[in-house]
Amino acid sequence: MRPQLVKSLNGRPMAVSTRALTKSFGSQVALDRVDLTVPEGSIYVLVGPNGAGKSTTLNALVDLVRPDSGGIEVLGRSASEAGPAVRAEIGYVPETTDFGYGKLTARELIDHHSRYFAAWDAAYAEQLGADLEVVYDKRFGKLSKGQARRVQLVMALAHRPRLLLLDEPTDGLDPLGRDRVLEILADHAASSPTTILVSTHVIHELEGLGDCLGALRDGRLIAQLERDDLGDHLHRVRAEAAEGWTPSSDLVEQSLVRKASGRELDWVIWGDAEALPSRFAHEGAEVRDVARLNLEQATRAILRMEVN
Amino acid sequence: MIIAIDPADTRPIYLQIMDEVRRSVVVGTAQADEPLPSVRQLASELRLNPNTVQQAYRELEREGVVYVRRGRGTFVSEVETTERERFRLAQTVAERALRNAYRNGLSLDELIAAVRRAAEEMNVEENS
Repeated sequence: MRPQLVKSLNGRPMAVSTRALTKSFGSQVALDRVDLTVPEGSIYVLVGPNGAGKSTTLNALVDLVRPDSGGIEVLGRSASEAGPAVRAEIGYVPETTDFGYGKLTARELIDHHSRYFAAWDAAYAEQLGADLEVVYDKRFGKLSKGQARRVQLVMALAHRPRLLLLDEPTDGLDPLGRDRVLEILADHAASSPTTILVSTHVIHELEGLGDCLGALRDGRLIAQLERDDLGDHLHRVRAEAAEGWTPSSDLVEQSLVRKASGRELDWVIWGDAEALPSRFAHEGAEVRDVARLNLEQATRAILRMEVN
Repeated sequence: MIIAIDPADTRPIYLQIMDEVRRSVVVGTAQADEPLPSVRQLASELRLNPNTVQQAYRELEREGVVYVRRGRGTFVSEVETTERERFRLAQTVAERALRNAYRNGLSLDELIAAVRRAAEEMNVEENS
């Protein structure tokens, strides 16, 4: 039996939930029946290769993309029916830095943006700007990607929204800038009640922050798990077996990655750490090591597995 | 008290935090009634989910290693945990070494002999 990698993260109130969210651009299927559930208060890491549908998903949540079918609930409201009301409670760092305000200076852009939010905290905005070393007096369109990202982060965070949608928030930043952003996000999560949905290609950055993981591939959600569930059940097993050893189909189905060389096996498989050695022993393979995976290793295994 | 997380360590982070606090108590760098960093402080310092820090502190409180003063923070307990904690720390170190040995195809006897040899070469005296 295959492991159940897409779970509905129920049991808690949901900040975001989509039902069979589907969207095509022409003949290109961008999202295919996606059931995304983001529990309130979580830091949900959304991963996937380029073009997997991460940005389309985030855009759909703020009603910038209209789905072909399926439902979206954001902070208890339908995204399509309550667009402006929902957006007021969201902080969004979109994929692009080019959204038509390039002629304003960063300072003017932030001032303009702040007027849309009753809850805007000007002192916090200044603090964030200083911490992120925002360049205020240059035109936004003339800023580098990294500089623009810093401005967008101030715009997303300073009204302490209930939901943060961050589309590759550290994209274009230098290493110190990236680290500063992570520090700010951790501090923000500790000081303001919020849910964070963040898409990224730099998974190791979110090792300590993420507590839920979602993986998109070709518009399909192929995994959705709590970090603890993933940590406790997805393991790298190194074992020895006779050459030509054939595992049972049951063992194969539970595995995500299978490497073998001579007598050596190097697998990633779903199962309890205590139970795995005897399961392999039962089939004549001797387990040398059962290791937990970090978030990046787990993600790589998930994105590489065969999906029917 | 300095609490550090090893990026190469794949054990749950709340357990690593707990071990770090216990270690500080055992080696004496953390004194009774010394405050732990606040959840917010440690979370932003180590780029961690605040819930993870909260979980570690809660478990440590349950074990009696720390106590909480509402509104003031979390502090190291005064209880005589040292003997028991040393025992547990040694256990953890031993388990890690054993697992590593087995992964490398070494027996228990080979590991013990190697530890003694290494101690001699590094001039580590018994009971030091």
